[in-house]
Amino acid sequence: MAQTSDIRKGVVIKGPNDLFVVVEFQHVNPGKGAAFTRARMKGLGSGKVIENTYKSSETIDIVSVQFQTMQYLYKVGERFAFMNMSNYEQIEMDGDLVGADAKYLKEGIDCVIGLYEDRPVSIELPKKIKYKVVEAPPAVRGDSSGGNVTKEIKVDNGLIVYAPIFIKEGEEILVNTETGLYCERA
Amino acid sequence: MRRHVAFVFFMSTWSELKNNPRLREIYETRLRIISLIREWFISAEFLEADTPIALRLPGQEPYLNPVAVDFNDSTGRSERFYLQTSPEFSLKKLLAAGFNNIFQLAKCFRNTESFGGTHNTEFTMLEWYRAPGSLKDVMDDTENLFKFVGKELGAVKFPSPARGEGEGEVGAWRWEQSWDRKSMRQIWQEYLGVELNDYLTVETIKILANKLDCGLEGEAEYEDYFFKIFLNKIETNLGKDKPVFIYDYPAQMCSLSRPSADNRYAERFELYINGLEMANAFGELTDAEAQAKNLEKDRALREKLGRSTWPVDPDFIGALRSGIPGNCAGGSSLGVDRMVMLFTGAKDINEVIFQSVSDQLSENY
Repeated sequence: MAQTSDIRKGVVIKGPNDLFVVVEFQHVNPGKGAAFTRARMKGLGSGKVIENTYKSSETIDIVSVQFQTMQYLYKVGERFAFMNMSNYEQIEMDGDLVGADAKYLKEGIDCVIGLYEDRPVSIELPKKIKYKVVEAPPAVRGDSSGGNVTKEIKVDNGLIVYAPIFIKEGEEILVNTETGLYCERA
Repeated sequence: MRRHVAFVFFMSTWSELKNNPRLREIYETRLRIISLIREWFISAEFLEADTPIALRLPGQEPYLNPVAVDFNDSTGRSERFYLQTSPEFSLKKLLAAGFNNIFQLAKCFRNTESFGGTHNTEFTMLEWYRAPGSLKDVMDDTENLFKFVGKELGAVKFPSPARGEGEGEVGAWRWEQSWDRKSMRQIWQEYLGVELNDYLTVETIKILANKLDCGLEGEAEYEDYFFKIFLNKIETNLGKDKPVFIYDYPAQMCSLSRPSADNRYAERFELYINGLEMANAFGELTDAEAQAKNLEKDRALREKLGRSTWPVDPDFIGALRSGIPGNCAGGSSLGVDRMVMLFTGAKDINEVIFQSVSDQLSENY
């Protein structure tokens, strides 16, 4: 049995009638009261998203998940397709399990996919991803008066990032996928 | 007032703050909210108080973990102090010293809470007291303060959900409408169809919790069952259409408040806006003996839970014994960071704090 402090995005919890993947979690301390953890979870069988709040002393049943590096292929409706490059097997993952990470996905990047009985339940992106800049408004004279200013740019998968003013269209940059921030020129 | 950008940015370094327009806007709004809070309280004839952050004898809340700090004098003598979890005791001592209407914007610390989400180890708390004052006075203050800040910021409504997913505006209610005020009993009736009066002991609420699929293994306190039910079945629905004050909590959960007219309940309220607790207030217990008894009980529970303990502050009990003006005080504490989240549409408390705990731990720092 596991503790509520083991609750993370992507862990699979065994419930009474279904298995649930944690999509989002948050700590709650009601009015100076005991610590609770609130988890938003998607039922693997039912597909329904539920919320459950656990007291910190409760034990939960976390089932083990296999991790496999897979390459992102493309989006199919609300799902995302990945390929296991060692056996060329293809899987599709629900958009709500990918969550906010979806905006970083770009064809050809390697992600670590969590699999429970061959079903994808979690995704871990590379820490930094390389993108090509497709839109970058030219720097305007006087822009740099305040020092090292940034501007909004668009990269090849549609992601918008704040980058230094000297970045131009066609350049390649690295973006930190934990913070959404520009790192450096690639 | 907020540009739509679908990412979370943190103010981890000075250059982030300088160069990222969204962060700048949030930080400027934060500073503006703090000055508007001062403006409102001063115009309502409150005095701004100033009290120590480090206390030798902090509060006894069973579930809070104050951060310990050791002070050494020049001879090497060492004394253990704790960073305040709220300025409550200090401010009540000021009430006893004859300061009637006081407020403070205090830096507070609570250990073993998460570094982000809706918590940060260090946070900013607004606390105020009226003596004499009632719970209703403090509800009025809270509502008027929010409405004043909102109006001055030019906010029509809160720009985005304080918690939960998705973008979008919450609250079709308008600023001039009055906010909902409901008793805890009413809320349990409304959301669970349950008469809370029948579940005021640990034995009865345990049965209800099991029935509602909110059971707990092993030994648990009344409060544990109460919150397990409240958090799972009620809280996330609160304040969706319009902010709501929930008042009158079961008496055993409120060691610092005075009993309500129905003495099974105590004068306490919480303000919820879109499922997030924004403020917690008490009709302050000013009976020194009853207060001393409650605090000793809390201290014993701390000991039982294996937490660090210290004696009940005798100067606090002495202050109550000497009397609070009008023998009747109302006070409230409000999370300033959460208030900023609400007005800026930030989803994570780290977005509204310059160099939060998690920022200082991040690789960008």
